[in-house]
Amino acid sequence: MALPNQQTVDYPSFKLVIVGDGGTGKTTFVKRHLTGEFEKKYEPTIGVEVHPLDFFTNCGKIRFYCWDTAGQEKFGGLRDGYYIHGQCAIIMFDVTARLTYKNVPTWHRDLCRVCENIPIVLCGNKVDVKNRQVKAKQVTFHRKKNLQYYEISAKSNYNFEKPFLYLARKLAGDPNLHFVESPALAPPEVHIDLAAQQQHEAELAAAASQPLPDDDDDAFE
Amino acid sequence: MDDVEKAILISFDESGAIDSELKLQAVNFCQKIKETPSICSLCIEKLCFCKLVQVQFWCLQALQEVIRVKYGSMSLEEKNFIRKSIFSIACLEGINDKMCVVLDSPAFIKNKLSQVLVTLIYFEYPLIWSSVFVDFLPHLSKGAVVIDMFSRLLNALDDELVSMDYPRTAEEVAVAGRVKDAMRNQCVPQIVRAWYDIVSMYRNTDPETCVTVLDCMRRYVSWIDIGLIVNDAFIPLLFELILVDGLLEQLRAAAAGCVLAVVSKRMDAHSKLSLLKSLQISRVFGLVSDDNDSDLVSAIAALITGYAVEVLECSKRVNTEDAKVISMELLDEVLPTVFYVMQNCEMDAAFSIVQFLSGYVATMKTHSSLQENQMLHISQILEVIRTQIRYDPMYRNNLDMVDMIGVEEESRMLEFRKDLFVLLRNVGRVAPEVTRIFIRNSLASAISSSSDKNAEEVEAALSLLYALGETMSDEAMRVGNGLLSELVTNLLSTRFPCHSNRLVALVYLETIARYMKFIQENVQCIPLVLAAFLDERGIHHPNIYVSRRASYLFMRIVKLLKSKLVPFIETILQSLQDVVARFTSMNLASREPAGSEDGAYVFEAIGLLIGMEDVSLEKQSDYLSSLLTPLCQQVEVTLMNAKALNPDESSLQLANIQQIIVAINALSKGFSERLVTSSRPAIGHMFKQTLDVLLQILVVFPKVEPLRTKVLSFIHRMVDTLGASVFPYLPKALEQLLAESEPKEMVGFLLLLNQLICKFSTLVRDILEEVFPTIAGRVFCAIQRVVDSSVTETNTEEIRELQELQKTLYTFLHVIATHDLSSVFLSPRSRDYLTSIMQLLLHTSCHHKDIVTRKACVQIFIKLIKDWCAKSSGEEKVPGFKSFIIETFATNCCLYSVLDKSFEFGDANTLVLFGEIVLAQKVMYEKFGDDFLVHFVSKGFPSPQNLAEQYCQKLKGNDIKALRSYYQSLIEHLRVQQNGSLVFR
Repeated sequence: MALPNQQTVDYPSFKLVIVGDGGTGKTTFVKRHLTGEFEKKYEPTIGVEVHPLDFFTNCGKIRFYCWDTAGQEKFGGLRDGYYIHGQCAIIMFDVTARLTYKNVPTWHRDLCRVCENIPIVLCGNKVDVKNRQVKAKQVTFHRKKNLQYYEISAKSNYNFEKPFLYLARKLAGDPNLHFVESPALAPPEVHIDLAAQQQHEAELAAAASQPLPDDDDDAFE
Repeated sequence: MDDVEKAILISFDESGAIDSELKLQAVNFCQKIKETPSICSLCIEKLCFCKLVQVQFWCLQALQEVIRVKYGSMSLEEKNFIRKSIFSIACLEGINDKMCVVLDSPAFIKNKLSQVLVTLIYFEYPLIWSSVFVDFLPHLSKGAVVIDMFSRLLNALDDELVSMDYPRTAEEVAVAGRVKDAMRNQCVPQIVRAWYDIVSMYRNTDPETCVTVLDCMRRYVSWIDIGLIVNDAFIPLLFELILVDGLLEQLRAAAAGCVLAVVSKRMDAHSKLSLLKSLQISRVFGLVSDDNDSDLVSAIAALITGYAVEVLECSKRVNTEDAKVISMELLDEVLPTVFYVMQNCEMDAAFSIVQFLSGYVATMKTHSSLQENQMLHISQILEVIRTQIRYDPMYRNNLDMVDMIGVEEESRMLEFRKDLFVLLRNVGRVAPEVTRIFIRNSLASAISSSSDKNAEEVEAALSLLYALGETMSDEAMRVGNGLLSELVTNLLSTRFPCHSNRLVALVYLETIARYMKFIQENVQCIPLVLAAFLDERGIHHPNIYVSRRASYLFMRIVKLLKSKLVPFIETILQSLQDVVARFTSMNLASREPAGSEDGAYVFEAIGLLIGMEDVSLEKQSDYLSSLLTPLCQQVEVTLMNAKALNPDESSLQLANIQQIIVAINALSKGFSERLVTSSRPAIGHMFKQTLDVLLQILVVFPKVEPLRTKVLSFIHRMVDTLGASVFPYLPKALEQLLAESEPKEMVGFLLLLNQLICKFSTLVRDILEEVFPTIAGRVFCAIQRVVDSSVTETNTEEIRELQELQKTLYTFLHVIATHDLSSVFLSPRSRDYLTSIMQLLLHTSCHHKDIVTRKACVQIFIKLIKDWCAKSSGEEKVPGFKSFIIETFATNCCLYSVLDKSFEFGDANTLVLFGEIVLAQKVMYEKFGDDFLVHFVSKGFPSPQNLAEQYCQKLKGNDIKALRSYYQSLIEHLRVQQNGSLVFR
C-alpha cells in the first residue's frame, strides 16, 4: 500500500481512514506531521489525499497511511469505497460546530459497515477556539460505542500524538507500547495557554467596555 | 475483464502504481456508466458473474444510489427485476456453477448488499413488497451463510432506519414507524421463532452464528412484543447459555446482552417489577468473580448494573406498599454485587455504576432517617469512592516527573474522579456526619500506612477532604462545626511524610485554599497557613509545578485575607525575597527559562499587600520603588542595546521583558484608582514613570506580537488605575498601536478604545477624532472580506478573526453613539466614511445572523436620529440623513426585515430587537412627524385603510407597550395576508 513514487516500506504499515464533516480540520491535522507533509501525494482526481506518517515506537518504526477523505462529495469519488481495507480510523468533529458532532454516529455507522471491528478514535478538534459549542462533558458517543475520545487542537499540536498512540497500541495488541521520539511537527500556530490567557485579558477588557444591559425587563410580556 | 471492470479496479487502486491521469479517466468513466439507463441490469449482471470485490462493491453502491435517487422514475419491470435479483442473491436462490456467490464475499460486500435491500424496503414495504421477511425465513434452513445474511439485513434495517441513535428526517421517522407496525403485525413472531430455533439448534455446533443472531435480536427487543422473549422458552434458554460453563464466552456474553435489553425495555413500573423479580437475577452473581477481565464478566457487570438501575427506577415509580417492599428487597439483593463489580472488575460499566449509585443515594434524600442497611450501603459507597480515586503506586515516579505516562494517568484519573466526586457530594448531603467521620479516619489511616503506598493513600484522603469542601456552602464553612474544625486544624498542623510528592503537595495546598472561609473566621490559623504556602511545602517546593500553583493559590488567599495580613507583611516580603530577586536582578544568565506568566502571581500578591492604605505612604513608596526601579531599569537597558543584540540574546531579552511587564502589571492590580490619583499621588507618579518606560517598548519593538499584547494589557490597567491622568500618554501609545493592522491586532486596539470611551465618555472626543478615520479606513476594508465569504460558511481561522473584528467594531460604534460621541462620525476627516458606515449599519440591522448585533445597530440609529435631527424643519445637520432614515432604514429594517419569517417572535433576543425597532419608529415620528408617517404607511399597509389609521393612532399615543403589541399583531396579520412573500417590495 503506497502511493506513486513512494517506496513501500519494510516496517509495519496500516491504512488509517480519517472521516468527519467538512471543515472539521482533518487535513490540517494530518499536515501537522512534517514527514507526511513532505511525502504526501495529492490525488485530486479521486478526492482523497494519502499521507504516510511514520512514528517511532519502542518496538520499532511504524507507518500510518492516512487517508484523508476530504472533499469526497464534491468529487463524486468512491465515498465509503475509500474505507475498504481500512485497519483503523479517526472520526473528527469540530467542537465549535455542534452539527459536526451530531453527525458523528452516521460517520461511525458508515465506517463500521465497511470495516468491522477496527479500532477507532473520536477526536474533538479546535479546542483552542474560545467559543466552544460542544463541551467535553457533552461528548458521550464514544462511551456507547467503546471508542477512545481525545480533545485535540491541530493548530497548536495539542494532543497530536494521542490518537496515533492509541491506534498503534490497539493494532500491536500491546497496551504498553509507547513512542520513543516525537515526530517532527509543524510549529504550533497558536499556543493554547497563551491563547487562554489573552482571551482572559481580552474578555476582562471587553466586559469593562460593554454597554450595560438594556433596562428592558418587560420584554417577555 | 471488460472496460467497466478495469475502470473500477483502477479507481479503487490502493497500490499507488497507477498514474493519476489514468485514474481520473477511470473515475470519470465509471461516473458516466452510472448515468446510463441500463446501469441496474449491468450492476446485477456483474454481481452474478464477477468475483472481484471492488467491482461487487461498486455495483452495490451504484445500485443503492440509483434506487435512492431515481426510484420514482423507474419502470415497474425494472423494479421487479432489481427486487427479484437482489433477493435471490441474498438468499442463495437460483445459483448455478458459473455464477459467483456474493455471500462468500467479505463482510463489507454483504453489508452493502443489506443496505441495498433496506433501501428497497424503505420504498416498498409493506405495500409493494410485503413478503420480503416472510419469504426470507424458509431460506434460513440453508445454514449459517444465509442466517448471517438475514442478521445483517435486520441490523442494517435498524442502523439505516429504525435506531434513534442517528439524526433522522421526519420522513424517515414516519417510514420507520410504518415498517415497524407492519412487521409487528406480520412477521415478528416468526422471526423470533426462527431466532429461538437457530440458537437452540446451533449452540453447540456453531456458537458464532448464535452470537450473530443474539446480537441482532438484542437490537429488536426494545420495540417488539416482549412476551415473545419473556416466556417459559426463551428466558430459560438465555440463562442456560449464560450459566453453562464451557460454552463460547462470546455466546454467553451475547445472551447476557439480550437479557439486559429485556431488563431495559420500557414498560409500566408494576409489570417491570414482576418481570425483574421473575428473572431471578442472583443466578448470575457468581459469574463476576470468575476471571475479572473477560468479555463475559463485562457483559454480566453491565447486566447487573442495568438491572440495578431498573429496580431503582421501579422503586421510585411503583405506588403500592407491596411493590415498594419488593423493589427494596431486589435492590438489597443486587447492591453487594454492584459494589463488588465496582471494586474488582476492569470494565466500561464503571461510569454507569457511578450514575446508578448517585441515583440510589438521591432516593435517600426523601427519607427522614436512614435505616441500618442504608447506612451500611452508604459506608460501602464511600469505601468504593476511596478505592477508586486512589492512584496505583506503580505510577508514583511517572506522576512525580510528569512524564508522558504520568500525564496520561493523571488526566485519566481527573476525568474519572469527576463523577465520583459528584457521588461523594450526594452522599455528603444525605449523611454528612458519616462522610466527615469517614474522611477523618481515612486521613488518620493514610498517615499511618506503610511507606510503599502512603503517598497514594494521603493523596486520596486529602482529595476527599478537598471534594467535601467543594460541596460546602460558604456559610457552613464559616460556622465550621466540631468535626470540620477538627479536620481543618489537623490538616494545617500535620506534617505529612510524603510532602515532597508532587500530587500530595498540590492537593494539600488546594485543600487549604478550599477551606479559606473557615480560616477567615479563625485567624489564629493564619501563621500556619502562611507557613504552608511560603516554606518548602509551597512556593519554595523543589517541584516547579507545585511552586507555580502555590504562587497562584497564595495570591487568592492574600486577596481574601488581605486586611488580616497587615501584621505579616514584613515577614511575607522577606520570605519572597529570593523569588522577587529572580526578576529584579540583572543577571539573566542565572535564570532558568520560564514561562512568561511565571512569577506574576507572586507580584500580584505583593501588590495586594503593599497597595493597602493601611501601609504608610513612606513604606508603600519604599516597597514599590524597590520593585519598580530595578524592573524598569532592565527594560531601559534592553531597549538601549536593542540594536546591538544578536538573535539569540535578543530572544532571551524579549522573553525577559515580557516577564517584567507581566510582573509589573500584576503588581499594579493591588493599587486602587482612589489611592493612586487622590490620596497618594506620589504613588501615581511612580506608575506614570513606569508607563513611560514600557511605552518605549512599542517604539523599539513594534512588530513583536507577544510584547505588544503585554503592553496593551498594561495600558488597560493604567487607564483603570490612573484615570484621566493617563491622557498625556495616550496619543503616543495609540499611534504605536495603530501601526499594526491585522484583524486580531485591530480587535485589541478597539477594545482599548472601548474601554476609554466607557470610562471617560466625551472627554476622549479629541483622541477619538484623531484615530477614527484610520480605523474606519482599515476595518471596513477588512470586514468586506467577511461579507463576501459569508455565503460559503467556511470555518477557517481567518474568517473567525474577521468575524471577531466585525463584532468588536459594532460594539465600538455602539459605544461611540451611546456615549454622546456621534459627532466623531461627522468630523471633516471622518466624513468620507459616513456613507459606508450607514450602509454597513443598515445591512447589519436587517440581515445579521446574530440578533444581539442587529439590536445594537438599531440602537445606534435611534441615537443618531436623536442626535442629528432637529424637531423643527430647519436646516439639516447632516444633509441626506433624514431621507435615508425615512426612505431606507424605516422600510428595510423596521418593516421588511420584521416581515420576514426568519424574524422569530418566539425568541427572547428577537423580541428585544423588536422592542428597539418599535422604539425607532416612535423616535422617527417624534423627529420627522408626518414626513415619516406618510411614507411608512404608504409602503407598509396597502390595504385596508383602517390598519394604517390604527397604526397612526397607536404611534401618536404615549403607550409604547400598546404600540409594540399592536405592531406585532399587525406584522403577523400582514404575513398571513401576503402569504410569506413580500408583495409590495
